[in-house]
Amino acid sequence: MTMKTGDAFEVKELPEELKATLPEVYVDDLLMTLKYFIDEEQAHLQIKNHDVCARCEYKPCLYFCPVGVYTLGPDGRIQIAYQSCVECGSCRVACPYTNIEWTLPRGGFGVAYKFG
Amino acid sequence: MNHERIEFDAVVIGAGLAGSAAAMHLARGGLNVALVERGRKPGGKNYFGGAIYTHAIAEVLPDYAERRPPFERPVTEAGFWFLSRDGLTRMTVQGGHLATEPADAYITLRANFDPWWAEQAREAGALLIPKTTVVDFIREEDGQVTGVVTDRPQGEIYAPVVIICEGVNNLLTQKLGLAESDLEPAQLALGFKQVISLPMEAINGRLGLVDDNHGLAVSVLGDVSLGLPGMGFLYTNKTSLSIGLGVMLDTLAEYRLRPYDVLQRYLDHPVIAPLVEGGQLLEYGAHLIPEGGYRAMPKLYGKGVLVAGDAASMVNALHWEGTNMAIIAGKLAAETALEAHSRGDFSERVMSRYKDRLEERFILQDLRQYRGFAKFLETHPQFMDVYPNFINDALGQFFTAYGKPKKELFRNMLKALSDRRSLLRATGDIIAMTRAVMGW
Repeated sequence: MTMKTGDAFEVKELPEELKATLPEVYVDDLLMTLKYFIDEEQAHLQIKNHDVCARCEYKPCLYFCPVGVYTLGPDGRIQIAYQSCVECGSCRVACPYTNIEWTLPRGGFGVAYKFG
Repeated sequence: MNHERIEFDAVVIGAGLAGSAAAMHLARGGLNVALVERGRKPGGKNYFGGAIYTHAIAEVLPDYAERRPPFERPVTEAGFWFLSRDGLTRMTVQGGHLATEPADAYITLRANFDPWWAEQAREAGALLIPKTTVVDFIREEDGQVTGVVTDRPQGEIYAPVVIICEGVNNLLTQKLGLAESDLEPAQLALGFKQVISLPMEAINGRLGLVDDNHGLAVSVLGDVSLGLPGMGFLYTNKTSLSIGLGVMLDTLAEYRLRPYDVLQRYLDHPVIAPLVEGGQLLEYGAHLIPEGGYRAMPKLYGKGVLVAGDAASMVNALHWEGTNMAIIAGKLAAETALEAHSRGDFSERVMSRYKDRLEERFILQDLRQYRGFAKFLETHPQFMDVYPNFINDALGQFFTAYGKPKKELFRNMLKALSDRRSLLRATGDIIAMTRAVMGW
């Protein structure tokens, strides 16, 4: 039952009628509520090897990241908006190829929840 | 290069629930403690349901009530909500065990609670060092930890004992080899929620709460997670709701679900939407929850080092417990560090007394008993799908008149189950759940 990794990663599909009940949320509307101290000098998230992403068939990071840090650029490469990251760690763990170099932002930088 | 070596009796990494508890207890024991926090202030990186338990706070800080903790509301009503596609069955309890003063649990917001909690450590004498990320350890050749390396210039802090309360992303624990690797996606739930502002009267009226000294905490099962392994939750703050879900990370990845879409679907549900209607979004956020239980735990101690809280997967997902384990584990780690200081011995043997202390308490006893629970949820998705729907269907039929003989009603109710799950399998599910909870 454990998630398969690497090339063996498989996607599962919801029944169409259930999938149709999912709304499409514009994540930026949610991000507006978050306070960040952005480290302009240092990105704490990096892709280790873009060739690996190119080979990754399903690119689940485009979906499961709760703040939409990962998007597909016009050139088909994964782009990282590390400025929006809430440092949850999901991408480090759930990237099927563990292809994300994940570090904590430098002290004082990153998300600063106001409510939590 | 001529700077003085910074030395403390103990360093605690992370000013969350476990870390500040540890620092408080160490400082009160007479030690010089550095409490290192990567956020601008404590709580800034934390996002949870959720509730904090007074039994745990009182163990570290007996006079906590006089120190005016920033609680939102006491939990005076708690339970499960079973959501079908268009219906809701509530199973909650109030009064009785939940009517105590002070309450057993208080709903809180971490950006308020954690700074107060760390302030108690500071008042006890600990030095809080915010805006500082620990990146490595200072180790002797034999592996004995003798301090931490931070990301500040000349940022080494020496101490004969280090307590790691770094949270779920336990990279430092891994660095020491206490955890072999990262947790697997199936051992983690991604929690995501919205804090939605509403007038106090609206919250009380819509949820049937007498006043703002009454609060509701529920786990929501069923349609909320599209029937997939996960759970919704709802907590009432004074003038806002904390509403969200925890969904297993492997599920989110494999089904390629956008967490914020799933949450919006929950908020749009026909019986949930009226509860949040007109509310204003104050904050959205997400945090991982280590739900792998006993089998996911790292080694809890090493030479001159101890691990507590989420970093050690101290979470009992079924009972929403984790905050209490973190606080008490932090204190037990501090007790062990104090013992090491009084003996002048920071060897692994003395550090291992921490595990003995955890064994004597509910923490390791419960985690061991529930060791099969994570696997059980993974292998029994029916509890997120079949049964919540069945309960709504069956109860709905029971309370509908129809004008037909009751014999037919009961046949239909039974069919509401057997259409979804054979009676034999349903029996097997109940046995499996009992085994998972009882630890058989």
